[in-house]
Amino acid sequence: MASNPAGHDVPEQRPDSRRVPRRVRDFFSVPAPVKRIFDRFPLVTYPANDLPHYPGSGRQGNQLFVFIDATGARRGRPSFNPQCLKWQAYLKFVGIDFELVPSNNHASPSGALPFLLPALPIGIGAPIPSNKLQKWAIEEVHCEEEQQLNVRFEVYSSLLDNRIRSAWLYHLYLNHDNFGAVARRLYVDPSTTNAAVRAALAAQLQQAARDELLKSSPYIDASALEAEAAEAFEALSTLLGQKDYFFDRPNPGLFDASVFAYTHLILDEKMGWKYNRLQQLLSQHKNLVQHRARLLEFF
Amino acid sequence: MVLELHVWGPGFSLPSVDAQCLATIAYFSLAVPKDSWVLVASSDPTVSPTHELPALKNGSTWVSRFRNIVDYLRQYSEGAWDLDRNLSAHDRAENIAFSSFVESHAQALLDLSLYVTSQNYYNRTSPAYGAILQWPNQWILPPQLHAAAKTRTEPLGLSSLDLEATEEQRKRDHSAAVAAGRIPQNFISRPRETVSNLLGKSSQQHQFRLEALTGDLFVPLEELLDGKTHPSGQTPSSLDCLLVGYLSLALVPELPHPWLRDSMQRKAPRLSQYVERMRQEVYGTVNVSDAFNSGAGSSLPWQAPERASLASIGTSLLTSLADSTPILKDIRMNNRLREAVESPNAGLSQVESKAVSQYVQGQGKDILLSVATVVGGVAALVGYMAHTGIFSAAQEEEKKEKESEDFQPAMPESMSVADALGF
Repeated sequence: MASNPAGHDVPEQRPDSRRVPRRVRDFFSVPAPVKRIFDRFPLVTYPANDLPHYPGSGRQGNQLFVFIDATGARRGRPSFNPQCLKWQAYLKFVGIDFELVPSNNHASPSGALPFLLPALPIGIGAPIPSNKLQKWAIEEVHCEEEQQLNVRFEVYSSLLDNRIRSAWLYHLYLNHDNFGAVARRLYVDPSTTNAAVRAALAAQLQQAARDELLKSSPYIDASALEAEAAEAFEALSTLLGQKDYFFDRPNPGLFDASVFAYTHLILDEKMGWKYNRLQQLLSQHKNLVQHRARLLEFF
Repeated sequence: MVLELHVWGPGFSLPSVDAQCLATIAYFSLAVPKDSWVLVASSDPTVSPTHELPALKNGSTWVSRFRNIVDYLRQYSEGAWDLDRNLSAHDRAENIAFSSFVESHAQALLDLSLYVTSQNYYNRTSPAYGAILQWPNQWILPPQLHAAAKTRTEPLGLSSLDLEATEEQRKRDHSAAVAAGRIPQNFISRPRETVSNLLGKSSQQHQFRLEALTGDLFVPLEELLDGKTHPSGQTPSSLDCLLVGYLSLALVPELPHPWLRDSMQRKAPRLSQYVERMRQEVYGTVNVSDAFNSGAGSSLPWQAPERASLASIGTSLLTSLADSTPILKDIRMNNRLREAVESPNAGLSQVESKAVSQYVQGQGKDILLSVATVVGGVAALVGYMAHTGIFSAAQEEEKKEKESEDFQPAMPESMSVADALGF
């Protein structure tokens, strides 16, 4: 029993009317010994933690922090997260060298992967979040800013950022079979071996995906999401036509990278999908499948 | 069979206050013969099983959302009421891409203009809903829509339009400054904030951000029109309906803070003219009273909505009460989805309904988990209170009155209180 100095050890204390409010206050106030301990804090203030270092790297080149496993990172395989894969592919296409570092959202200064630690200038090492990566790449290698060249860029990007992304979120996180077979294996299991933490992480991931989908509609309609993704693939396929790359460019660019990020992961057999309606929809468009195969050769 | 189109009611001199509803009305008015459909301003999402408007009712079948309704009309009329039937592959791709573009980008700007900008919301949007909703929905639905618009636009980081959010932020800064003891409390001034001075002075970067957002939307659309009568040539398509639906809400309402209309007229003069022309063509002139008088003299086939019965008022009060109770809300959400899926008319294939049912069952487990968590938490709290003797204090009180000196029975008594609560 918690020792309560003002408690019933002092029965002679009167009048009674004052006792009840005090008891309630005592119940919620911090006990004096605990308060004394907390008054001493902070005992020491440590300097901020460094960014996590990858043991194998000597920190010579640019480092791109993505969701990937250790063997995949060594071989430069594609990341299993569409956002990470988009920027990984883009940097490869414009010809910037970098090494991959397996990481997770907690490591990132912006709270989301990917981010890049540039090799130069030495010593400053300010990390570049994903929304500034394109600007940085343009400064590095003087490639074009593709959004400026064609007004259709933003329009067709909205297909990827809304329709295909929503279908992807449903497909990966909310489809029961896929969540167990793919998302749990890739995102939850590597973080911890503790079953309770795994269950909590998995629930958080699913809830986040659900909240994101419920933002735009009052309930989640799986068949509507798939129908919209099917339309989006059709439009992208028409846009690509018989050309090698989108917008008739000689080399692949940012838009190709954004498309590849989804098409590769949907078509990749190593992902181990249990239910893959998106793959059936995508396979109807041969040119998108060939486009993905063409770009996969960069890896 | 006459098709019934249920929508949010008229406002801002447009036939509906919601962009998706406006787009659907435009589609019907362009594609469906006038004697085959009626427009019902029911303004109550609970009329449809999916709790969404616009919703199309044909006999016992319900279809909701613009895209699904358009698909349903095509199947129902065997292709006759399909505005997109003559599109080439290229035009069809453009149609899909621009539809997705308008739905995402324009919705964000409408949310900002009509809901998040506080002056506009309290002076125009909220009264507009008040005029079309019946008691008690006029007190329940607008705050829900307001909150939903705020969550949708949160990632854009334009909270300076929202005076409530600014006020909260200011209070937080204020108390932080006081707590840190840096500023004496009476030295902190309280400037009166309005949207115009926020936009004018203190948040220039937000103004740049708004400029960029409106530019992102209007520049491609202006280029798409480029001297044509309709985006895809000479005949209207489903994209026309979305354009007129979303953009007339940007162009037509008279708002206290009309930044969206100003930038639309400045950046896209051709688009503004096009939307104005199309609006006159498909909606005509709209008065709020048309919708409730079965619209004699209006160009739209209005049918007066049923007056709310006592039962439906009771239901909507109970619904909103249940929806704001944390765990009950999840259970209800879940059942709603299940009903919609398992009914044979939902239009889902077998595989799809199986997949959704599985999702619903997965949800069921989550809910059980949260019920268990709450029960466990309450049990732990009661146990702790019993342990530290909060109940014995009350017990003590009685005993004192009886001049009893024995405090020991307090503990078993308090435990029986916990038992009585059912743990």
